[in-house]
Amino acid sequence: MMPQKSTKDVVLTAVWGDNPVFRQILGICSALAVTNLVLNTLVMGLAVVFTTALSGFTVSLLRKWTPRVIRMMIEVLIIAFYVILFDQTLKAYWPEMSRNLGPYVGLIITNCIIMGRAEAFANANPPLLSFVDGLFSGLGYALVLLAVAVIRELLGMGSLLGIPMPLFSSALWDRWIIMVMPPGAFFTLAIIVWLARTIQVDKDIKKQGGK
Amino acid sequence: MGLRGKTWFPILYMFIVTLTLSAILILFGNITRQRVTNNERIAYERAVLRALPVDLPSGAGPAQIHNIFLANITDPDEKSAGAHRYMVEDSLLAYALPFEGAGFWAPIKGVIGISRDRKTITGIAFYEQNETPGLGGEIVKTEFTRQFVGKKLAMTPPYIEFLPATATLDESSVHAITGATQTSNRLGKFMNTILGTWREHMDDPQ
Repeated sequence: MMPQKSTKDVVLTAVWGDNPVFRQILGICSALAVTNLVLNTLVMGLAVVFTTALSGFTVSLLRKWTPRVIRMMIEVLIIAFYVILFDQTLKAYWPEMSRNLGPYVGLIITNCIIMGRAEAFANANPPLLSFVDGLFSGLGYALVLLAVAVIRELLGMGSLLGIPMPLFSSALWDRWIIMVMPPGAFFTLAIIVWLARTIQVDKDIKKQGGK
Repeated sequence: MGLRGKTWFPILYMFIVTLTLSAILILFGNITRQRVTNNERIAYERAVLRALPVDLPSGAGPAQIHNIFLANITDPDEKSAGAHRYMVEDSLLAYALPFEGAGFWAPIKGVIGISRDRKTITGIAFYEQNETPGLGGEIVKTEFTRQFVGKKLAMTPPYIEFLPATATLDESSVHAITGATQTSNRLGKFMNTILGTWREHMDDPQ
């Protein structure tokens, strides 16, 4: 059985050391699809945080009764439950955002980060710690998405959260249309993954006291 | 060996978990269903009113939009070939023709307003689209939609033409969105098809 980690370790690992996007390369589909507007990205990130945290908590709560042979079906069922709750809430209380995100909220069900945390952590740890792990894994995902979205919206549309930004919305700045299109997401994400991994490799080398 | 070791336990367990979670979702769906339906209805009504020369107060709430719609707009019927009619004191002011077709990513649904001369466009509004934000998604922006106001439908197709941003416009053309060729082409195509069908019906109700 996996040794139990401290809350601080769980948080640091989820947000940085084992970040779902730039360390594990998970959740890339939505990271590419919804990051051309910061507001859409914020809500998408919130949806993933909500689902990862609560599904981790629930999977952990049921882990002692769930038969191993059907545990993955149960995990998918729990994840789908929270995603549908979030999707329905958006449809009822924020219809414009629901229309903007289209099918991507529903597709969170297939996001490997959530299933990954349920399998790798919640199945072997107590509910509260699993909740914290899910919460910060979701946050780790949301922060990377937000970084991609800020770059794309600023360079591609000259705005942030729909508010025109000085210089980038003026005639001096020729909007980089490619940034709001899918290739812009690939370039931006690749650069962020490269930077984050370079920083981590440097840290690891220093920690080992080697070259 | 406890219950977990029994061969039938996984089936019973799965059934209980599914039943519990589904029951909660059904309950939540029932609580929010009316609200979701109303949201869809209001989005449509707002688009109809925006396409027409209706004095819609800025920041009008759902109740206000619904009341203005009920007071002035008729349901589509055969006589208007599927368009709503904008009536003020029993006199017809304009038509609001709903249209929809395939966009670049997903269906685009909107309404085009046409004055009672069946020629002059009073406005256009969209209530559903999922085009690329910043590109095709710009169809919902005022910069694009206000071009249509006052344009005249041509006598022959294309009734309203989408031209590149550098082209000189005439009374039946508008500028397409730069960088969103697919959205502009598709929108222009299905909008013209629907306008053609509507005109045919209005000119010859047979």
